[in-house]
Amino acid sequence: MARGENSESHGSGNVPASSPAAASSTAKQAPAAARGAEGQSVVRRLQSELMALMMGGDPGVSAFPEGDNIFQWIGTIDGSAATVYEGTSYRLGLAFPSDYPYKPPKVRFETPCFHPNVDTHGNICLDILQDKWSSAYDVRTILLSIQSLLGEPNNDSPLNTQAAALWANQEEFRKMVEKLYKAA
Amino acid sequence: MASEDRSVSHAPEKKEEAAATAGFDDLVDPRFQCCVCLELIYKPVVIACGHMSCFWCVHRAMDYHRQSYCAICRQPYIHFPSICQLLHHLLLKLEPVEYKKREKEVLETEKSNGTHSPQNIDLLYSKGNNYENGKDGDSKLEGSKIGFPGEDSVDVSCPLCKELLYQPAVLNCGHVYCVSCLPSLGDEALKCQVCGGLHPGGFPNVCLDLDHFLEEYFPSEYESRRNQLKPENSQYNPEGSSSGTSCSKDNMDRQAKGGTNVQKNLNLSNVHIGVGCDSCGVYPIMGMRYKCKDCTERIGFDLCGECYNNRSKLPGRFNQQHTSDHRMELDNTRLYGGLIAQLALIGAGGIGEAIADDHEIEDDTDEDAELL
Repeated sequence: MARGENSESHGSGNVPASSPAAASSTAKQAPAAARGAEGQSVVRRLQSELMALMMGGDPGVSAFPEGDNIFQWIGTIDGSAATVYEGTSYRLGLAFPSDYPYKPPKVRFETPCFHPNVDTHGNICLDILQDKWSSAYDVRTILLSIQSLLGEPNNDSPLNTQAAALWANQEEFRKMVEKLYKAA
Repeated sequence: MASEDRSVSHAPEKKEEAAATAGFDDLVDPRFQCCVCLELIYKPVVIACGHMSCFWCVHRAMDYHRQSYCAICRQPYIHFPSICQLLHHLLLKLEPVEYKKREKEVLETEKSNGTHSPQNIDLLYSKGNNYENGKDGDSKLEGSKIGFPGEDSVDVSCPLCKELLYQPAVLNCGHVYCVSCLPSLGDEALKCQVCGGLHPGGFPNVCLDLDHFLEEYFPSEYESRRNQLKPENSQYNPEGSSSGTSCSKDNMDRQAKGGTNVQKNLNLSNVHIGVGCDSCGVYPIMGMRYKCKDCTERIGFDLCGECYNNRSKLPGRFNQQHTSDHRMELDNTRLYGGLIAQLALIGAGGIGEAIADDHEIEDDTDEDAELL
């Protein structure tokens, strides 16, 4: 068996995460890819996830497709109690590639978030969204992971060095969280 | 031969009725939901760690140029296992309507992709390998005691001890044994008694989903098996697949001894990108790769060096109609080292980009070479 040989069609199912092709597979391209049968299975999986989210529902996280495009979702995460994010609610954009769930969705904060592992553009540094991705993860586990990342940042590899440096001072950190949050 | 008690032939009528009217949310057993597509597992494949998914969900999740990791427990693996016939028939029995629906969906997808998965699942991995004889169902596997008595019942006994499977583990060939029976299958490598296939690597973990199912479905028989095996089974990993990466000591030793040392594919240069062995399922092939010159299917038919030397007579894993009189030849066209050399010539993009369009890789190379 050889995948991708002799123009076999499902070869594109495994695009390295770092390649330009993967980076550009945004929501705009996804519907085009969804025309194929492979796309149909992605749609079915996303629909199942949506059903489960609507039926079950975890406190503090929710998600729903943005408009008619099932490949582009909006998620919301409430800051957990007893963290500096208590009382906040963040919007995130999730863009699913056409080879989801074999590849992770692109997830970014749309509400500005002051956090050691979130940069000023809302990009998130979280291993399960990159090399530690598993096709058994879903929207729910992603949002719960980001929710717990808020309260437990990884200060060893910060995207926002200012936030990482300030984390030790929770009172000052809280002020920065509020300042950025309210500005939005 | 399995007793009637041990077959799932007398599944309560009401379950079938329920399946006929209910959607997936009301499946009899939610543990048979695939973690990747979130639908009923179709053509179940059980990885060595004991976790199962659909045939295509496992294959598509596998890494084309290095070892893969189980989506649930992250245990590394490099062999794409064969479909587990027992589970296939069990699911067909438990969820006839939903399973048929999945079959239809998958066939449609395969049709539009031009891909194929094994069709004659019963005969595909049997010793005689007489899959050309066509229809399954009436033919019992020669040389083994496993059969499917009755119209559509499923035998859930161990081919070795002939009793109800207790802590079942699934070999790479898809056949299921009690984990406590596995040591009888050989010292160096486990050799399946049903199909004669060698299991690469160490002991597979217990398939806990199947184990729990059997415990619920056959409580009294399962309990007597538990009591019977209690004194001996302490050395095996009772946690099975739920423990993920934690293997029992015995298992670790086996893995160290066995041929599946995943470390060896750290050497990328001998990796055949995106090419798997149609016999043992290793993916990607490392070292020697033999390609069939006569198979006309698009996916091709390939063997790793070891399986080529063992003169494997299995048909392809993707329903290729390979026969033993086909001619095989060494093929290095997908060798990582060779691809790197090609890319060095064109100097653009990098390997990642090239592999992203790997079905066009040779054309691209030619075009780019002309541009230069």
